[in-house]
Amino acid sequence: MQILAISPDPNERSQTLAQKLRARYRFLADRDLAVTRRYGLVHSRGGPSGEDVPIPTTVVLDRRGVVRWLKVADNYQVRPDPADVARAARGL
Amino acid sequence: MMRFAPAILSVAVTLGAAFAYFWFLRVPAIRNHPALYLAGFALGAVIAAAAVWRSARWPNIAALALSVALLVLGAYFNFVFARLPAAGAVLKVGEAAPDFTLPDAAGAAVTLASFRDQRPVVLVFYRGYW
Repeated sequence: MQILAISPDPNERSQTLAQKLRARYRFLADRDLAVTRRYGLVHSRGGPSGEDVPIPTTVVLDRRGVVRWLKVADNYQVRPDPADVARAARGL
Repeated sequence: MMRFAPAILSVAVTLGAAFAYFWFLRVPAIRNHPALYLAGFALGAVIAAAAVWRSARWPNIAALALSVALLVLGAYFNFVFARLPAAGAVLKVGEAAPDFTLPDAAGAAVTLASFRDQRPVVLVFYRGYW
């Protein structure tokens, strides 16, 4: 399974985070939120100084690129349980 | 001292709920149920209210003020401030995800379609650091 973590963060910041977490993630920088917007996942003026921010979302795609599991946060304190994501991705 | 045991218990339950939530932030079962800390604040408020009803001394009143304040702030945070809008209707289970190309942390371009027929992909959209 390949995890792609997408945020407006600059690459240097993501690199630091990747090293800190020792994650097998690949961090992708969507600086202007163009891809996030194309996915319908922009929280307009949701940031602390009124900027647009992504709506935290986890999407599991099968080998054909089809969405098989989807969790869009409705409260930013709540994030999917990694065990649920792993279960959704298993056997795809 | 024992006279104010309910007030002390109320403060312990109220602050304990707040600290426990932050302490266990990485445990999904705790983190994903923010109503738990609200329940702790509410329990603290009930204990303090009972103590005030029996004796309106300042430690009891202070415990009631603390627990009610945290209950109101916590409820506002959880039910209003932390709420997110619904996503646009782009992603649907059973439909293909839009393709994209973005730079990774090393600056190399990564295209979603390049994983096709290779392995499943998990996309994690996150808000990033501020």
